[in-house]
Amino acid sequence: METATMLPEVTAAGVIIKAVLILAVIAAIAGFGTYIERKILAFMQRRLGPQHVGPYGLLQLAADGIKLFTKEDIIPQHANKIIFAVAPVITAATAFIALAAVPVFPDFTIPLLDIYVPSIASDVNVGILFVLGMMAAGLYGPLLAGMAQANKWGIIGSARTAIQFLSYEVVTGLSVLAPIMMVGSLSFVDFNNYQADGTWMVVYQPVAFVLFLIAGFAETNRTPFDLLENEAEIISGYVTEYSGMRWGLFFIGEYANMITIGVIASIVFLGGYNDFWFIPGWIMIIGKIAFSFFFMLWVRAAWPHIRPDQLMWLCWKVLMPLAVVNVVVTGIVMMIIG
Amino acid sequence: MSLEQFKNRNVGTQNYVKLDLDHSPTSGWCQFKQVVKRTFKPELFVGLWVTLREMGNALFRGKMHTTQYPFEKLPISPRYRAIHDMLRLMESGNYRCIGCGLCEKICISNCITMETKYDENQRKEVSEYTINFGRCIFCGYCAEVCPELAIVHGQRYETASEQRASFSLFEDMLTPIDQLNLQQEYQGFGAVSPNADENIKKTPLAY
Amino acid sequence: MYEFVAFYIFAIATTILFLITVMSKNVLYSMTSLAAGMVLISGLFFLLGADFLGVVQLIVYVGAVMALYAFAMMFFDATKDVKEKQQNPQLVFLLGGLMALVFVIMFSAPVIGDNIQALYPVVDGVGNAQAVGMVLFTKYLVPFEVAAVMLLVAMIAGIILAGKKMDYSLTKCEAIDEEMSVELEKGEE
Repeated sequence: METATMLPEVTAAGVIIKAVLILAVIAAIAGFGTYIERKILAFMQRRLGPQHVGPYGLLQLAADGIKLFTKEDIIPQHANKIIFAVAPVITAATAFIALAAVPVFPDFTIPLLDIYVPSIASDVNVGILFVLGMMAAGLYGPLLAGMAQANKWGIIGSARTAIQFLSYEVVTGLSVLAPIMMVGSLSFVDFNNYQADGTWMVVYQPVAFVLFLIAGFAETNRTPFDLLENEAEIISGYVTEYSGMRWGLFFIGEYANMITIGVIASIVFLGGYNDFWFIPGWIMIIGKIAFSFFFMLWVRAAWPHIRPDQLMWLCWKVLMPLAVVNVVVTGIVMMIIG
Repeated sequence: MSLEQFKNRNVGTQNYVKLDLDHSPTSGWCQFKQVVKRTFKPELFVGLWVTLREMGNALFRGKMHTTQYPFEKLPISPRYRAIHDMLRLMESGNYRCIGCGLCEKICISNCITMETKYDENQRKEVSEYTINFGRCIFCGYCAEVCPELAIVHGQRYETASEQRASFSLFEDMLTPIDQLNLQQEYQGFGAVSPNADENIKKTPLAY
Repeated sequence: MYEFVAFYIFAIATTILFLITVMSKNVLYSMTSLAAGMVLISGLFFLLGADFLGVVQLIVYVGAVMALYAFAMMFFDATKDVKEKQQNPQLVFLLGGLMALVFVIMFSAPVIGDNIQALYPVVDGVGNAQAVGMVLFTKYLVPFEVAAVMLLVAMIAGIILAGKKMDYSLTKCEAIDEEMSVELEKGEE
């Protein structure tokens, strides 16, 4: 509490600078994520991946960007044009709004202008719920995109969005509930401080961690649950009719969501940004986020994806009861111990 | 695999390995057991391990599979039937083609056109010889029928060009005279088989 | 100052969006504006410092409207306008106007009477979630539990409605059909 009073006052200019910073850096990282994904998937399949544009293909990102920006922007004739144009923006915007309540980068003061830039753009005291809620709102992007494009693959994609959302959202909430009960707060900072003694939340809540990971995969449409845009079954699902930068916005949003899930998993379950032995905290948090990003790619390379009915079966009949039991057991144990 | 086995096309009667599929559970307890078994079997982690191992193999043990095609090429079989080559006689450097016209005759897609005339030594000379590669189906009959092994299938399979005519003239297909020593005898379709001597029998003349 | 500007932005946007929800003939427009309006209402909660309620508004209504979308997807062609069948537009107009009037009077009367006071004002040092929890589990315990039981009833009813033929396997349906026909014949005999 005392350190909180020591911090300089957060001004509007600081928050705006922070917002621009998040937007620029995370968008760049999200774009760069496509390169990393292609490279790692290639290595896991013993291929080389992109490597002709720039050294080791590093400039592939720029080439893709140029391609996306110069591609013709097509809106189908019978599509609902307004909704069709709004949908990709929803995905990208909510992904970045979610990042507003997440601590990314350390706080610092700009020397000459004397503007204090906080580490969290908007320090709401219900951070974790805000982030999850905003990511949930992001699912409107695929839903509206699928419904607006007058394409049957799109409709199937958005129907799958609806069922996937309704299935995993319950699991996400309930799996995070048990750690919230232990910490007694919804703020990311409190989660971090709770694990300051070096014992990670995973040790207390392994079941919740696994459940959260599974739900996180569903939330970011990553491979075991990439029902919305599964090429083999429904062409491209909700992005069938999209081209150019509108299509690109969906993927910036998806990769930003992957980073957000990585941040939540590392702060809530994996010890946050506390120092670990001799390693400083900021390296730890970057390492954890990077590993969770890598883990998502790893899973994509290794595991097959499941059918929609299997997803519903898994979420409603297996994961949700497990999560409820986990919450009840946590409550009983807390009552006995504390 | 022996030749006999290889040629056996009776697909239905061969020995198949049947997968040991579990029977679908009947009672509730069986279903529960199946769920528990599937949940706690480390199969998913086996999958993760396999991909990680292959990544290690690719990165650190040089087991990358990629052939960087325009820069490196895989060897192709001598029996590969790509753009035709016209071979020369090693001794004199003349082209082998005697202008018999068999290839033109046998060509099933009618893509070979040739014109011949007698030169000053009363020897048949090929005055014009083209193959229409817009029609050629690379069946290899021309190479098989050629009595002199003059027209053969070469190894040039990169056939993208600005014009169809780019490969199709006699001069283009003929071995360049300065590369005569590099000319390889053809191993593929229609070539003399390695045990040709054994297969030669006396011609039965005494009818 | 910021709050002032933000309040009017949120308020005007919410009103316009809900107007679109009511007025539009296109399912997609009205559903989308409904969802957007619900999200913007959570902005009003954040402005008031009720972070927890704002987030709950966000999470609950995002899911609820998503379920509505699922129904809209099943019943309507989203790219075409819905043709409404209105028997008596005057009556609808009259009743709607009356209801709006009643609501305006209901909510503006205490404002004019100037006798509003916050029963549970935001306390410093007590988090939103704690404050909501305290009120829910002390003063409003009975309504809360009744609501929980009602939701449970609704859930069980939903499961029973949906699960009537859950043991009816599509892959084995022929066999079951035969069994049923045999049974029917027995019954007739």
